[in-house]
Amino acid sequence: MDIGFSPEETRFREECRDWLHANVPAEKRPLDASDAIGFDKAWQRRLFDAGWAGINWPTDYGGRGLSIVQQVIWLEEYAKAHAPWIGANFVGINHGGPTLILNASEEQKAYHLPRILKGEAIWCQGFSEPGAGSDLAGIKTRGRIEGDELLVNGSKIWTSFAHVADWQELVLRTEEGSLRHKGLSWVICDMHAPGITVRPIRKMSGQTEFAEVFYDDVRIPLANVVGGLGNGWKVAMSTLSFERGTGFIADQVKQSQEIEELIAKARAKGMIKDDRIADSLAQMRSEVAAVRAMTYRNISEVLRTGQPGPEASVIRLFTSELGQRLKRMAVLLKGEDIIDFAYGDDDAVGDYLRGFAATIAGGTAQIQRDIIGERLLGLPKSR
Amino acid sequence: MDLTPNDEQIALQTATADWCRDHMPLAGARSRSAGLWQQLHAMGWTGMTAPEMGLDHATEALLFAELGRFLAPVALLSTAVAARWTGAAGKTALALPAQEDVRILDGVEASRALGAFGDVLAGFPLDGQLSSMFSLDQSTTLARIARPAAIEPVDDPHALLHLQLLTAAYAVGCADAARDMAADYAKLREQFDRPIGWFQALKHLCSDMAVRAAVARSQLYYAACTLDADDRDAAFHIAAAKRLADQAALDNGRANIQVHGGIGMTDEAHPHLCLKRAHLLQFIVPADMAALLAA
Repeated sequence: MDIGFSPEETRFREECRDWLHANVPAEKRPLDASDAIGFDKAWQRRLFDAGWAGINWPTDYGGRGLSIVQQVIWLEEYAKAHAPWIGANFVGINHGGPTLILNASEEQKAYHLPRILKGEAIWCQGFSEPGAGSDLAGIKTRGRIEGDELLVNGSKIWTSFAHVADWQELVLRTEEGSLRHKGLSWVICDMHAPGITVRPIRKMSGQTEFAEVFYDDVRIPLANVVGGLGNGWKVAMSTLSFERGTGFIADQVKQSQEIEELIAKARAKGMIKDDRIADSLAQMRSEVAAVRAMTYRNISEVLRTGQPGPEASVIRLFTSELGQRLKRMAVLLKGEDIIDFAYGDDDAVGDYLRGFAATIAGGTAQIQRDIIGERLLGLPKSR
Repeated sequence: MDLTPNDEQIALQTATADWCRDHMPLAGARSRSAGLWQQLHAMGWTGMTAPEMGLDHATEALLFAELGRFLAPVALLSTAVAARWTGAAGKTALALPAQEDVRILDGVEASRALGAFGDVLAGFPLDGQLSSMFSLDQSTTLARIARPAAIEPVDDPHALLHLQLLTAAYAVGCADAARDMAADYAKLREQFDRPIGWFQALKHLCSDMAVRAAVARSQLYYAACTLDADDRDAAFHIAAAKRLADQAALDNGRANIQVHGGIGMTDEAHPHLCLKRAHLLQFIVPADMAALLAA
C-alpha cells in the first residue's frame, strides 16, 4: 500500500495543472441544458484538441491510452482548477462510451467513440420509465423485430439532456412476453429519428435538464443493438457499474474543493465558533478524505482485477449522501439569505435543490442499500 | 499509488486472522486468561513493531485491524508503540489520565505504562502489583493510581500518531466484527417465515454497517500511508481515521444489538462485547478538533 506517484505521473500532473491554468474558461457554464449545449460542446472540443478527452480510452478511437491513475490525476487537477462540469457530455463520456468500449462491435466503436470524445455527439440515457425507475427489469418499452429493424413504441422519463441529445443508450424489451431482465436489448437510438417526441421537465430548482421521451413507431436498425439481442440486462449492468463506479470520480474529487470552501467561509463569517458547525465541518472533512481513500482503493482494485470491486455501490451511496450534507451546510451558512434565491438562479441554493437528485438518479439510495446488503454481505434477495 | 494490500500483506493478514480465530476467539473476550499474553508474546505479536522488524505502518494497520476484530488485549497497542519508540520489551499497560489520577488498562503483569498526557506521549514504570478490577470492557482490567511524579515523554511526535493509528485500526476491526455478526445472524434468524435479512428495514441497517466499516477502513489505509510517507498532512489523516473508526465501531455496535433483537442485549450473546470495546477505544487518543480543522 502506498499513496505515492511515479515521477512520470507527477510530470503528468504538472502538465494537467499548467494546461488547465491557461485554458479554464473565465465565463460560467450556463445552467439550463439548452443554453449550455454550445458551451459544453465547445469545451469538450477544446479538451479533445489538447489531448485531455478520453485519457484512458483506447488510442484507436481518439483516446490517449493512458492509465486510470492518470485519469484520476487529471480529474483531481480539473477540480482544483475549478474547470466547468462537462454537462451534456456526461452520459457519453462517463457511461455510454465506456459501455461501447466494453460491449460494442468494431463499426459501432469506430463511428461513435471519436464523436463522443470530440463533443460532436451528445448522448442521453434511456433506462427509466414512468412505471420503472429504480426497477430497471420492469421496463415495458418494446422493440418488435421487423426484417432488419426494430419497431419501437413506449416512453422513457427522467432522461437527462434528452432535448439536446443526438444519441441515446436505450434499453427496451425485444422479446414479446418476456419477463423481468430476460428479453431486453441495449440499443443505440438516433434521437433525430421520426416518431420521437421529447417533452422537457422543469426541476424544482427552475432548470430544465431532463425530459420525457415518447417513441411512436420509431425504426432502429438491428445493427444498432450493442452486445447482441436479448443481452440488454448484462450490457446495462456494465453501464451501471461505470455509473456507480468510476463515472463519479469527478464529483468525488469536487467534494474536496467544496469542503475547503465551506470551512473558509465559516471562518470568514465567524460561524466556525459555533461548536455544532465546527463539529459538522470536521466530520465532513474527515468523510471527504475517506472518499478519496475509497476512490483510490477502487482504482487500485480496477488496476489489479480489471473491474471495479463490489464496493462501488458503497462509494456511490456514501458520496451521494455526503454531497447532500455538504450542500445543506452551504445553505446553513447562508442563513436567511436563502430567501433571496430566485427560481432558476445558480448558487448554493440552486446546488442544494438540484442535489436532491444525487440519492435518486442511477438507483435510489435504498436500491444501493439493497445491493450492498445482498452482494457485499450476502443477505437474501428482497425481490 | 495502490491502496490494496499486496500478496505478502494478504498472507500476513490471513495468518493473523487464523491465529486469532484459534487462540483468541471473540467469545472469550469476557475474561481473557492471563496465559493469553504469554501466547501473544511467544507468537511475536508483541514485538512486531520493533524497529528491527522493519514493518511499515500500512502492514501494521492491516494486522491490528485483524487483532481488533477479535477484541485483542488493549495493552498490545501500548506495547507496540513502546517497542518502536522506547525500545522497551515486555508488557506495557495503557495509561489514560483522568482528572486527578490515572487509569491503568490491562496492567496485569505489566512493568510499565504508556499513554497520551495532553498532546505528549509519555511512559512511566509501574511499581508492584496493581489491584485490578474489570472495566466496562470485560476484556480489559482496570486500576486507578495516583498520577506519577515523573513521566518520561517520548520526544518524537510520530509516536503519538502511531498510537492513534493503531487504535483506529482496532476500532475498524471492532466495526467489522459487529457488521459480520449482524449479517450472519440476519441470514440465520427467521421471523414471519423468512430470514430477517430479507426485510429491507433490517437489510438496510446491515448495509449501513458495511458502509461505515468500508469508509473507516479506507481512511485507515490512507492514513497509515501518510505516516509511512512522512506526509505533512499525516496528523489530519490519522485523526480523521480515528474519528471515522470510532464512529463506525460505536454505531455498528449499537446496530448489531438491534439486529439481534432481545437476545442482543443479553449477557450470554456477544454483541455487547463489541459495543463495550468501542466505548473504551473512543477514549484512547481521541481525534481532536484542532487536528481535524487545521488550516
